[in-house]
Amino acid sequence: MSADASDLSLVRRVQRGDKGAFDALVLKYQHKLVKLVMRYVRNPAEAEDIAQEAFIKAYRALPQFRGDSAFYTWLYRIAINTAKNAVVSRDRSPIEYNIDRNSTDNDESYDMQGRMRDSETPEGLVLTDEIRSTVNAAIDALPEDLRTAIVLRELEGLSYEEIAEAMACPVGTVRSRIFRAREAIDRRLREVFEGGLGRAEELG
Amino acid sequence: MNEELDSQLSAMFDNELPAAECELLARRLSRDPDVQARWGRYAVIGAVIRAERGVTLNGTVAGRVSAALSGEPALSEVDAARPAGRTPQFRWWQPVAGAGLAAGVAAVSIFWLRSQALPDGAHAPALVAASTATPAPTVRAAQSALQNAAATAPDSFVVPPVQQRPMMVVPATELADYVVAHSAYSWPVSRGNLLSALMVSEPGTSSTPARSDQPASGVQGNAIQNPK
Repeated sequence: MSADASDLSLVRRVQRGDKGAFDALVLKYQHKLVKLVMRYVRNPAEAEDIAQEAFIKAYRALPQFRGDSAFYTWLYRIAINTAKNAVVSRDRSPIEYNIDRNSTDNDESYDMQGRMRDSETPEGLVLTDEIRSTVNAAIDALPEDLRTAIVLRELEGLSYEEIAEAMACPVGTVRSRIFRAREAIDRRLREVFEGGLGRAEELG
Repeated sequence: MNEELDSQLSAMFDNELPAAECELLARRLSRDPDVQARWGRYAVIGAVIRAERGVTLNGTVAGRVSAALSGEPALSEVDAARPAGRTPQFRWWQPVAGAGLAAGVAAVSIFWLRSQALPDGAHAPALVAASTATPAPTVRAAQSALQNAAATAPDSFVVPPVQQRPMMVVPATELADYVVAHSAYSWPVSRGNLLSALMVSEPGTSSTPARSDQPASGVQGNAIQNPK
């Protein structure tokens, strides 16, 4: 089994003209990519802009992707280059401060592009905090074997085979434990997403 | 979704699903918004576990990328349009490789022709050596026939005539048939020259088996009837 089989199957679909498959790839890697870009820029909103640009570049370059390396490795390189270029061009161009704002002395209070992203709105930030606390609470409530399996997978990045070795159980059991852990967390998370979206609509 | 499908989706998210199962699930993932939403939440769970601080978890990047790409053509359409706009690239090694290939073919042809031009006796020592090493019954019979022929034939240093090759007779005969059948439409001079050439190049025609006899005699007769 190829280590990148699922990503590759999505990539092949995109190459055949299925944009929905690219949405799935973006959903999967958007957080990782923003975190990666934040090594180069401190502003989360700017990191999101760069990640977005990297995804668009990746989409346009996908016809040349042959699958010689893992998709994420390839995407990682594009994001790094995009971030470096963004930093260079930002350093060359003068920073545009929004002087209409009263609190320009606070670094986090102004928007360099003169606009506010969705993620920076109070609702967006509250939703993010709520998601974090919900997921953490759900993980704490998991049985020990499920929690260990999902943490080894997501935090340590171990393969199912490595987790099976670490937990002294068959690979099929690892797959089942990770799935059940995700399902338990997802049940709680779904409520937050549905409630959060509803609240955002009310506020809007 | 049923539990088995959810389990597959979880394994696919971890790149742990066999490729054969990925194909079907990828198709569903790209089309079913519920499956895609679940997939997105799996990513959020991973981001929280990894404590990715500063990362917003409400999926703004995905929405913006999707919106930005909505106006772009699908990649299959881009690929279909590309060959028309592509300019041909000059590759310096192509003429060199072509010349090399041609030289190789020429060299092989020369060696082959030279080996064909050698008299049959040139291969005899090798044949005799091989046959003495493993004297099978058929080989022994052939050897005795050769010895008999050598004993009856007078000693001579004259190079033996080259044997007729059957594959050379058949096309010439068929060509003669064709010429006879279409003689009404050809110039008398060229027809006469061609038939003369055929008879010269086919010395065994008159004494060859029945199939080649009839057209050959017809050719001769036709040639006599049209002596131009």
